[in-house]
Amino acid sequence: MLFNSFSFGLFLPITLLLYWAVGFKRIKAQNLILLAASYFFYGLWDWRFLFLIVASSLVDYFAALAIKGSESFSRKKIFLYSSIIWNLGVLFLFKYYNFFIDEFALLFNMQQGEYAFSTLNLILPVGLSFYTFQTMSYTIDVYKNRVSPTNNLLNFLCFVGFFPQLVAGPIEKASDLLPQFSKKRSFDTDQVKEGLRQILWGLFKKMVIADNAAYVVNMVYASPEDYGSLSLLYASILFFFQIYGDFSGYSDIAIGTAKLFGFKLSKNFNIPYLAQSVTEFWQRWHITLTRWFTDYVYFPIIQKNLRSNTRRNIAVYLTMGLIGLWHGADWTFVIFGLFQGFLIVLERTPLTKNRKSSLFHKALMPNFMVPILGFIFIIVSSILFRSQNIEEVWLMFKRISSFIPSENIGPLINKRFLVFVFIMMASEIYTRYKDFPLTKLDSYFNRPTRWIIYYILIFLIFRYAGPKEDFIYFQF
Amino acid sequence: MPDQKKTLSIFSFSDVQLRFLKYCMGFFIPLIIVYAILEILVLNIPINYKVFGNYLNKHAPEIEVMALGSSQMKCGFNPALSDESAINLASTSQHHNEDFQILKGTINRIPNLKTVIIEVSYNHLELPHHPKDYWKNSVYLKYYEVNAFERPTWAKDKLIYLANARFYSHKLMDHYFYKTDKSQLNEYGFDTNNYEGAFKKLNYDETKIAEHKFKIITREDLTIFKNNTAYLYKMMDFMKEKNLNVIICTAPLYKTYLNKRNPNIVRRRDSVLSEILKKYKNVTILDKETDTLQFTAKDFLNENHLNPDGAKKFTALVNRKLDSLH
Repeated sequence: MLFNSFSFGLFLPITLLLYWAVGFKRIKAQNLILLAASYFFYGLWDWRFLFLIVASSLVDYFAALAIKGSESFSRKKIFLYSSIIWNLGVLFLFKYYNFFIDEFALLFNMQQGEYAFSTLNLILPVGLSFYTFQTMSYTIDVYKNRVSPTNNLLNFLCFVGFFPQLVAGPIEKASDLLPQFSKKRSFDTDQVKEGLRQILWGLFKKMVIADNAAYVVNMVYASPEDYGSLSLLYASILFFFQIYGDFSGYSDIAIGTAKLFGFKLSKNFNIPYLAQSVTEFWQRWHITLTRWFTDYVYFPIIQKNLRSNTRRNIAVYLTMGLIGLWHGADWTFVIFGLFQGFLIVLERTPLTKNRKSSLFHKALMPNFMVPILGFIFIIVSSILFRSQNIEEVWLMFKRISSFIPSENIGPLINKRFLVFVFIMMASEIYTRYKDFPLTKLDSYFNRPTRWIIYYILIFLIFRYAGPKEDFIYFQF
Repeated sequence: MPDQKKTLSIFSFSDVQLRFLKYCMGFFIPLIIVYAILEILVLNIPINYKVFGNYLNKHAPEIEVMALGSSQMKCGFNPALSDESAINLASTSQHHNEDFQILKGTINRIPNLKTVIIEVSYNHLELPHHPKDYWKNSVYLKYYEVNAFERPTWAKDKLIYLANARFYSHKLMDHYFYKTDKSQLNEYGFDTNNYEGAFKKLNYDETKIAEHKFKIITREDLTIFKNNTAYLYKMMDFMKEKNLNVIICTAPLYKTYLNKRNPNIVRRRDSVLSEILKKYKNVTILDKETDTLQFTAKDFLNENHLNPDGAKKFTALVNRKLDSLH
């Protein structure tokens, strides 16, 4: 069930009515409704994978309790590693197994049948990378005494399966989300209105920006050999707006939906196109994933020797490489991650004796160069992220750098769409200190004006939505 | 303001919640009314699917020939000029998967169906089936009564405007506001005024046409080729089982388009067609793709679509083929 589907438009109000109708004092009943709705929501994709979610939830629930109940550190470690092995094992089996088998065979120049392990015909369960990371962080946090394990299985199942963020995040920390399931939720009209406004803004970004961009991007990337350099550059820039509109739009809908139920989810995007450096970009883009890898990969590596630059650089490469690999089992994603790591390391490398400046520091980098470098960064990242394989990446770079005339770029440029992109960016930049552009609209406009704004947005969504596309991050 | 009401029985709403429900209804009811008006307006536009559906419903027992395919077939075959009672259910971007659904979904209503015309144009076998065009399922359901969803359908599946708001918004604006829709559909749904293409804008001047830029897909895709070929064989098996004659058509292309085709794609397509011809006795081929003698610039709408004049010639060729079958 997609957030931008008719079925979700039916599912959400029904669930909401039931949820609030049972009375806000009945936390257990509300949680039961949430859990049933979440499993129904997920089961519509493939009910078989519900067993996987339940199994993952149970493994981490009991592992956390066992960690807490164990006296010795060695026993605690055994339970922690069991949980990690289970989570990473599931992830490896469904997401990376075929990739490693194929690469192994390629490395040793083996044909199919020559090696003992064959590839598996498995579907990647939707949202696997998201909920696996969420549950894994829970057991790690319990082990590190950052959070107390819950005894309430229902609350924990809700924490893992909460439908607004189940399939594509935001990846929540147990300390932030889990306690919300045991607290009383009261119906707050203002919060519900905020949620609805955020959903509307998310739908605009997804259906008007992302889906229209996808139409051009898919066409160009389907046969890059038919397009000239400018067209390929244009499509790669559009891909940035596609993935931004798609994923930040999804996050807005998820956060807005959670608000309708009285929950607060973490902010996942903070106008990344305003970033002045790659490091800042990653602090503004998919914030919860960056936070996860910083907390559970980067910091554990550097904490033993905080002053070692080499160690920090290795940690950056490893973290960013893994972030790349998290996105998908392909070398394009690994290179994408390493490329980000390389730029971050470059930004941090001190080039002067006082160790305060780096290549990207203002003293060495004139202001006008920042957007130019940002532009190059976006194009290279988009190509690495969007291309199906290394050959396609190579083809894209080769054609772009060959200055091939773009005779057919005209039909790719839709002026109205560019106006919508401008509206989105202008609204977000103008309201940059708020959660999203429609936040607290009640304070600025009276009801008729607000309703006109909503109706205009709804009209734009209906009238100018692009051909319906799945959310990109569902595949991860 | 947080809701302060303390005691509630199960399944009941507080005053704050009820007030909010009323507020929402006040907001959404005008939207629902506007949507209902849009749906009614869309249903009143004379689109070809609707005319196809009406013709199918009225004349199903008489139909002997059914043409299926994409826009090339839609523009190329005019059933009004057919010697046999025919229907052309081809439509823009319609691929074999949709053709097959339509055939399977209508065959029981057309007892006298003898011949099916299938289009296998230049890159048909290396062009993916269009999962993104599933909005047409609503059209097929509404007008042809064909369930291409392959699942039980809901009432909303028949809502036409909702199926593709973007497409129908354009149609609404063209029809009611700009009045730019110049199409004149005959009773078979064929547009007899379909001349407003690139070639007319260029005054059918061959020098200008030679310089005209157009889009052609040259990318090879063996995976799609294998899948589409297997699917085509599945269709052939079905039609053989139903004792139907099959004419596989390739519609005429203008010479600039012909010159830019990828020869590997053409070679693979042709080899599949010759294999099909060998395997199935009920199949004949009408290959007019490279017929540059009969079809001149004035017969084309653009590089790969015929205008009604071209359709007249092409339908005559189909007639000759149909004659040879009986």
